[in-house]
Order: sequence, then C-alpha cells, then structure tokens
Amino acid sequence: MELEQLGSLEIIFGILGRFLPVWIALGVCLIGGYFIRAKLGQFGRLWDSRIGLVGLGVTLFWVFTALFADLIAVMGPLEQSFTFGMKKSAPGTVDAENGIVFFLGGDNLARDIFSRIVYGSQVVLIIAPIATLIAYMVGSSLGLPAGFYGGTIDTVMGFMANLVLAFPVILLFYLLVTPEVRDPTMVNLGLFEIPWSIPIALAAVFFLFPIGFLCLMWFTKYEKNRGKLQAYMGVTIVLGIWVYVGLVFDADPLGILSLDPNELNVFAAVVFVSAPGVFRIVRGLTLDIKTRDYVAAAQTRGERPWYIMLWEILPNARGPLIVDFCLRIGYTTILLGTLGFFGLGLQPESPDWGTMINHGRPFVRLADTAHIALFPAVALMSLVLGLNLLADGMREESLKD
Amino acid sequence: MTEPILEIEDLNISFYTRKGEIPAVMDFSMTVMPGETMGLVGESGCGKSTVSLGIMRYLGKNGRIKSGSIKFKGRDMATMSDEELRELRGSAISMVYQEPMASLNPAMKIGTQLTEVLTIHEGISEKEAYDRAAEMVASVRLPDPDRIMGAFPHQLSGGQQQRVVISMALLSRPALLLLDEPTTALDVTVEAGIVDLIKDLAREMGTSMIFVSHNLGLILETCDRITVMYSGEAVEEGDIDTVFNKMRHPYTKGLLRSIPVPGADKYSKPLVAIPGQLPLPHERPTGCNFGPRCDHFADGVCNQHDVKMHPVGSETDRHRSRCERIGEINWDAAIDLGDVGEPIVPGDVVLTVDNLKKHYSVSSGMFGGGDTRTVKANENLSFDAREAETVAIVGESGCGKSTFAKVLMGLETATEGQVTLGNLDLSHIPVEERGPSTVSQVQMVFQNPFDTLNPSMTIGDQICRVLEMFEVGESDADRWGKMLELLDLVKLPREFATRMPRQLSGGQKQRIGIARAFAGRPKLVVADEPVSALDVSVQAAVTKLLTDIQRESRTTMLFISHDLGVVRYLADRVVVMYLGEIMEQGPTEQIFAPPYHPYTEALLSAVPVADTHVQKRHVVLEGELPSPLNRPQGCPFQTRCNYVIPGVCDKPLPSRTFENDHVVHCHLDTATLETMEPVIKMTDAPTAAE
Repeated sequence: MELEQLGSLEIIFGILGRFLPVWIALGVCLIGGYFIRAKLGQFGRLWDSRIGLVGLGVTLFWVFTALFADLIAVMGPLEQSFTFGMKKSAPGTVDAENGIVFFLGGDNLARDIFSRIVYGSQVVLIIAPIATLIAYMVGSSLGLPAGFYGGTIDTVMGFMANLVLAFPVILLFYLLVTPEVRDPTMVNLGLFEIPWSIPIALAAVFFLFPIGFLCLMWFTKYEKNRGKLQAYMGVTIVLGIWVYVGLVFDADPLGILSLDPNELNVFAAVVFVSAPGVFRIVRGLTLDIKTRDYVAAAQTRGERPWYIMLWEILPNARGPLIVDFCLRIGYTTILLGTLGFFGLGLQPESPDWGTMINHGRPFVRLADTAHIALFPAVALMSLVLGLNLLADGMREESLKD
Repeated sequence: MTEPILEIEDLNISFYTRKGEIPAVMDFSMTVMPGETMGLVGESGCGKSTVSLGIMRYLGKNGRIKSGSIKFKGRDMATMSDEELRELRGSAISMVYQEPMASLNPAMKIGTQLTEVLTIHEGISEKEAYDRAAEMVASVRLPDPDRIMGAFPHQLSGGQQQRVVISMALLSRPALLLLDEPTTALDVTVEAGIVDLIKDLAREMGTSMIFVSHNLGLILETCDRITVMYSGEAVEEGDIDTVFNKMRHPYTKGLLRSIPVPGADKYSKPLVAIPGQLPLPHERPTGCNFGPRCDHFADGVCNQHDVKMHPVGSETDRHRSRCERIGEINWDAAIDLGDVGEPIVPGDVVLTVDNLKKHYSVSSGMFGGGDTRTVKANENLSFDAREAETVAIVGESGCGKSTFAKVLMGLETATEGQVTLGNLDLSHIPVEERGPSTVSQVQMVFQNPFDTLNPSMTIGDQICRVLEMFEVGESDADRWGKMLELLDLVKLPREFATRMPRQLSGGQKQRIGIARAFAGRPKLVVADEPVSALDVSVQAAVTKLLTDIQRESRTTMLFISHDLGVVRYLADRVVVMYLGEIMEQGPTEQIFAPPYHPYTEALLSAVPVADTHVQKRHVVLEGELPSPLNRPQGCPFQTRCNYVIPGVCDKPLPSRTFENDHVVHCHLDTATLETMEPVIKMTDAPTAAE
C-alpha cells in the first residue's frame, strides 16, 4: 500500500499552521513589549538590538511551544501509529488510517517526530531553567562568601570548584548513572525509611541551597521586624520542606509532588557541573562590587555580612548574571542533549531532544532515515542559538553608553 | 599681526545616540596665537573635552563636527586627508590625557615608546631618536633618564608617568599642545611640580597650549587667556586678569564666588552657590542656557533667542561674553550673602585619639611564608575633637587618612592606642560588636556620590533601612515619616523617596548620603572628601548644607580632604598628615600662617588658588612619596624636605609646641620655624566679587 506524501511547501505551511497559537502569543509579546520596553529595564533594551530581538523571538518561540504543546502536537508523544509503512516514514507522510499528517516523518516506532519535538520542548524547558536556577543558587551561596571574605575560604572553595571543573564531565555522568551507584537503597532511620544513593545525596545537598538561600535573605532583611520575618520564613520553610521531601526523597505526604529517579539524576548531574562555573562568575563580581562605597556604608551602619552579600552585592551584579544565566540555560540544554544521547538521562521513551537524537542515531547513515535524528538536533540547535543570541544582545546593549 | 596657530570658528559638534542627536558643543569660536596658553574651563558635561577631541578630529564613531571650521596654521583641517591628519597628530599637535597609565602602552618599555614617536614622524635613525628621547626625559626633570628609558610604565609612579607622557607629547616639538586635565589624577604636591614643568617648557619651546581643566586656580596659574564654557557653549573669553577681575558673565561670577579662596570664611564671607543644576544636553532652555540659574534673568530678554558672543570693551581687549544684559548688570554689586550664622562655640571634648597605631603585615613569600614586613598605615596619632567642632585631616594619597577613618568606623581595629568617643574606647571594637546605639553615633559621608547609594534600592528604602538598623522609630510607617523629614532636612523634595539613585544628580546623591549619616543623630561624622567629586557650582551648596546640619545638631565633624581651600574655609582645627604620621596640628588660622611644618608649607604653595590677588611663595617638592614599605627612619618627610638636616632627621621626631595647642613635629628648632615667611600674601586690591 502506497502512503500519500505531502510536498515540501505543504509540509512547511502545515507546520507553520500548527504553530498558530505560538505566532499569536509571540506577536502579542514582541509588539506589546515594544510599547512597555522602557519599564522592562535590561530586557527592554533588547528591542534596540536586532540580534537580541531575534534571540528573544527564538527563545520565546520555544517557550510558547512548550506552553501550547497540546494544541500544536498532532499526537501524544508516546502514541504509535499501527498503519503499515509509518515506521521511519519520510516527512509529510499521511497516516492512511486516520488521516493524521506526520509533518516531520515517523521514527522507528512509528511515533510522530513533530509531536515528539513539540512535547520534548516541555521537558527541556522545564529541566534546563530549573536546574540552572538551582545551580545559580548553589554557585551564588558559595561564590558570595568566597569573594567577600577572601582568604582561606576563597582558596578552599576555589580549589574545590576547580576540582569539579577539571573532572571529565562524561565520565562523571557515567558514574552517576551506573546502576550500583544510582539505584536507591532504603535506609531505616528508625521512624521511617528513606531511599538513599549518591545522586539522591547530591540532590539532597543541592536542593537545600534554595531553601537556605531564601531563609538567609529574609532573615537578614527582616531581622529587626519580627512580624514580617516570621511570615516570610514560615512560608519559605513549610513550602520548602514540602517540595524538598517530595522531590528528593519522593515522599510527599500529600502525594502531589514526585520526581522520577532518572530526572533527579539529571538534576544532580547538571547542577553539579554548572555550579562551579556560577561560583566563579559570582565570586569575580563580588570582588569588584565589595569595594564600592555603598558596601562600606552598609558595613558602617552595622549590617551583617550576609545582608551585604545578598542585598547590597547580589542585586547589583544582576546585569552580567542575567546574561550568563541565558548562556548557561543553553549549555544546560546541550548537556541534557548529551546526557540523552549517551542514554544516561531520562527514560528511554522520553521525548526530550537528546534521547530522540540517540534513538535516531542508528538510522543517520541512510539518507532516507536521517531525519529521525536530524529534526530534534535542529530543534536543540535553534533553542541554544536563540539563548546565545539573547545573551549576546543583552550584553551588547548593557555595554552601550 | 602674526598668524594664529589655531583658529576655531562657529564650531558645532554633536553626538548621535539612540536618543537622537545630542549637541555637545555649540557655536564655539576660539583663537590661539603662537606661544599663547589658552585655558578651557567648565564643569563636567560642558563640552570642554569634546572641543579638544574635535581639534584632534578624534570624535569616535558617533560624534561628528556639524559645522564650523578648525584652522591649524591657516589650513582648514576639514580639508585634510586621513593621511595628513595622522601626520599632524603627535607631531604638530600633541595631546596629554588625564590618566597617565591609560596613555602609555603597558607592554612596551618607556624608551621604545618614546623612540617610536621620532622614528615614525621624523624618520630618523633608531640611535639618534633614542638620544633625543633620553634628552627629553631629562628635560622633564625625571631622575636617572637611563633607568626610566628602560622601565615599563607600571614601574613608575603616577607623577613620573605623566612626565613621560608630557615628554612624549613634546618630543617632536609640536606647535600646539593639548592638555586635558593633565594633573587631575595626581596629588597636589606632584601636581605643582607638573604645572611648574609645563609652564617652563612652554616658555622655552614657544609651544602654544590649550589647557583643559575644571580647576580655576590651575588655569589661573598656567594660562594667559581663558575660555569659560557652560552647557556646550563658550560663555566668556578673555585675558586671565580681565576674566577673573572684570568678568562680564553671571556664570563666571557665580563660579568664582562658589570656590573658597583665601579670605573666604564660613562666617564672615560664606560661599555663594549657584542655584539649580546643569541642564541635560537634550533639555537646554531656549535663549541663554544659564538663564534658569541666573540672578539677573530677565523674562523676554534672556529666553527669546540664541544668545551670541558680544565683544566687551575695545577690539584689542579680545574679551567677549555671551550675555544679553552686559550693559544692564551692575557687575560690582555686593552679593547677597544670605544669613550668616554666628561662629560655633565648641563644647567639651567628644573624641580623643591617643597614640593610635595601625600596622598591616605583608608577607612576600609564595605560600604566605617569606619575609613579613610591616606597613605602618597610622603611627602615633594623637589629637582630640570637641563638640560641634570641625577638625580637618589633610594629606595626600597614602597618608593614612582613610585607614584612620576605617579604624574609627570599626571596619578595622587598631594595632595599639585608643580612640575614645564619650567614655567608650572604640579602637579595638569592630563594627559588628558595637551595637546600634554606638554605631549610629559614628557615621560617615563617602567621597564618590555615584558609588555611595545602592543602585538597586529606592532612596526611601535605603534611608528607612538605616533608621531600622539604628533602631529609630516604632513601626515601618513611623520610619517612613522620619525618612521624609530627613529628606526635608537635606532640602530635597519628598517625591525622591520613591526614586532610584540613577535618577538623581551627583549633588543630590551626596545629599542623600548626608541624610543617611545624620539619621541616627550622631555625635561624630567622618566626611571623606564629601564634595571633591562634585562640580564646582554644586560643591558650595553641599558644603553649606553639611555645615548647617552640623551646626544645628552640634555634631563633631572630621573632614578628610586634600583640598586646603575647602579646609581653610570649613575647619576649626587642622591635622596635617604625611605617611601615616601627624606632621602638624592646630587651629586653622595658625596652620595657614607661619610657623609652618615644611610639609605644610609645600602643601600650601602647591594648592592652586583662583584669585589674582593672591601671591604665593614658590615651594616645590622634589621626588615622590616613598612607598609605605620603605618608610624612612625618623621623620617620614625627610626624603622630600627642603630643610633636611643630614644626620638629624633620621632621629625620632620631636614636637615643637606653640600657642593654642599648635604643634609642629619637626627637627627644626622653634626659632627657625618662627622665622619662616608666609606662603600666601594678599595684595590689597579689592577682589571683583566684593
């Protein structure tokens, strides 16, 4: 049975049509943003830079794709077509059974690549920014005191950061996902049992940082204002512990939050390798900003060191940090791709782009089936490119007058 | 008549930015004759540096000369090709910039950099060029030219670097030398040496010069003619004497009235600030740019049309002013001084500093081992300050005044000695252990207004935070109210509470800094050069505010400064420091009159004074400030002292006491000290401002 094929133009317009919700949202965002750009601070300046605007457009495109994935995708990410010939089908093949078009063709299990890429953006755009954010909190919590105090603290922490940076990343990932290392063993703590493994231990440490970070912020700011202090701290600790227990130990008492052990692994791995980079940049900025008079002014009115670090230094380092944050989401995306490619990341059936590329790997050699790996690779590339352009645009604009 | 070296006619320069065209220089004309030194003076943003860059035709990517002509030796520079211009720059026209370190290539030896100028512009042999360069290095009075030629820029001090830059600029015997704030980054005694050098070289070589500076005193000492600029326009031009004594523009008059000169006094003859602020380049008013700040503003006359330069007096006077009402203003009228306060009567002693020492140890070894050497940042400081008194601490960079401030504030602890405030010894208590009541008693006003406020917090929140730290006020609302009162106190509108620091001008930020320091009703305020980074016309207003608040709250103020003009105007008592030690201390009048410490004498002579009636005795210090790591034994000043007595000065310093607690730490005996001649003499002619 010969399956119907769409021509190249039909495929392109078909895809553009599927993305309609994204175009609308993108239009509203970019045009609306133009009018309120004066109020957007650093981001508002992107509208003055062509490169930055392209970067913002591409990045937002994927953000909206992730948001509207259900509207855009033609099938579920794991749904297979059982029509003969849909396996490894070429782009633009129409499923004879139900008339669904596989715009970017089907993979070796007859799943729609287009839909998988669209759903894959969700996975990528949730894990990469959150992992980067946690890496930022870990890196800042360590980089601020290293830069601020200097001396032995700086030397020791800098050395540890260098150790992590110098270790081959891929080997580290392989170690983290070795079954002996990864599989949790249950540890009895008397009252209850918790799962325990090296990745869980790492995650347990890393996920503590955001809670500590926020608590420290509230404590230093509202130390002399009991009411506010209790309110902010209370909310942070209750929410923090709930999320912490749910995500790290998969023991949410309400049963709402849980994180797949594979995803926890990925988080731990990504944070572990990104945090030293963040540590360095935060430390450098701290060294610069701590010499400013407003830091001396804060010291002479008796502020605690942590108040100075979190409220006087960190907010004023935000310019370069935001730029670096964008770049680093890009790196993390590539890292996720790498993990997926080596089969170290998420579940094998996950639609994330790295895993998809990995699955398409055996078929790259034939021109007919190269698209299975090619399209996710293009998606990955465009997102990283968009983030890089966005960062470039922001950096360029911040350097101007 | 000889042909002018440089003739600028109706020059207009604009910068093109995202916000559109910003005119930086408008309708600017200037003529420089051979051998003449032209001073270009004005506040920040007035376009004086743009003019000098325009002459070099080096305006960067977004600057452009819109109209007008710049003729160098009769040739219009606009008609020259890039090749010709490059030939001209560095050989016929040279420039000296503000930052010497930024003007020298850090990766090349001084000798190579100097030789290059000659081999490129004159095409002479390497050997000949080297010899001439060495000669020039010697003629800018650098010691040991051979060593200097073989040194890298970072091995020289700031003053030496600037001398090298000047020698480089003069190497190819230019017809015109542009100096853009050449001494602003240097200490006063070093500055005096450089100014001296520039004057002599200009006389010897017959070079015409354009001297760009914000410092009227410096212009007076170096230049023959002066052009005063305001907001992109030249407002007055003429001979130095004419402009200083018979000025015909209200801005020039206001400027001269707002800088402290000998004879000004905070009680009898207070400084008069120019009201308002410089207009932003895209918010200039129609008509006279100075109109909104001018006392003589006449509606319908000054704000109708662009004001042109009008000649004053005869053609030969070459005196011009951009004022519509030259004929109508009574230029000799006395200035309304405002309310002059009664002199403050100092109360009891509040602060006692007794034998204070602060030493740092520096180790040179790779792993923290090796030799440990001691840097004596403060050595044997002893003085006291009374309630409501202003004590000035004077000294150049490296004299330890900032370290002393740090010890007072608790950012460092003393190595030895005591600092007693009230009954509490602060010298060994770091700020974290002081507690809010003590911390609020000792506060500080910082130097750099652009650095003193946290850029990401609103003004109101910042002041409220201070109040919260000092445990002033019961609730947030209460503190907000108190914060608004503080804004009233520093004469800023209450709307500023919700603004961000970047929306404020330098003077306004400094006012917030003052509000912050006085928030907890302190006993002692340390003001670290609080006005030195501000524009001249704003300085007077901020200074007045500071002294008014201090007078009202009877706070003791330690005023740290290198500017003896401001110190003489403000301080009741002065402490002169050099390399961490007190050289001289006493009541202000006595410091400024003999007997002097030799260092005070040089300092007094070095400070440029913007008054043609002041005659200064010429005392120039040779050499550079020694590194604090190699402090001389005995008197720290002996290496540069003009009175040094070999074999005596390396003994411990004795102190010579005169009346009113005036103490001079010097090996010279009392009789010699007493017979010193005064440095500053006033000639009798009345100043024009009177």
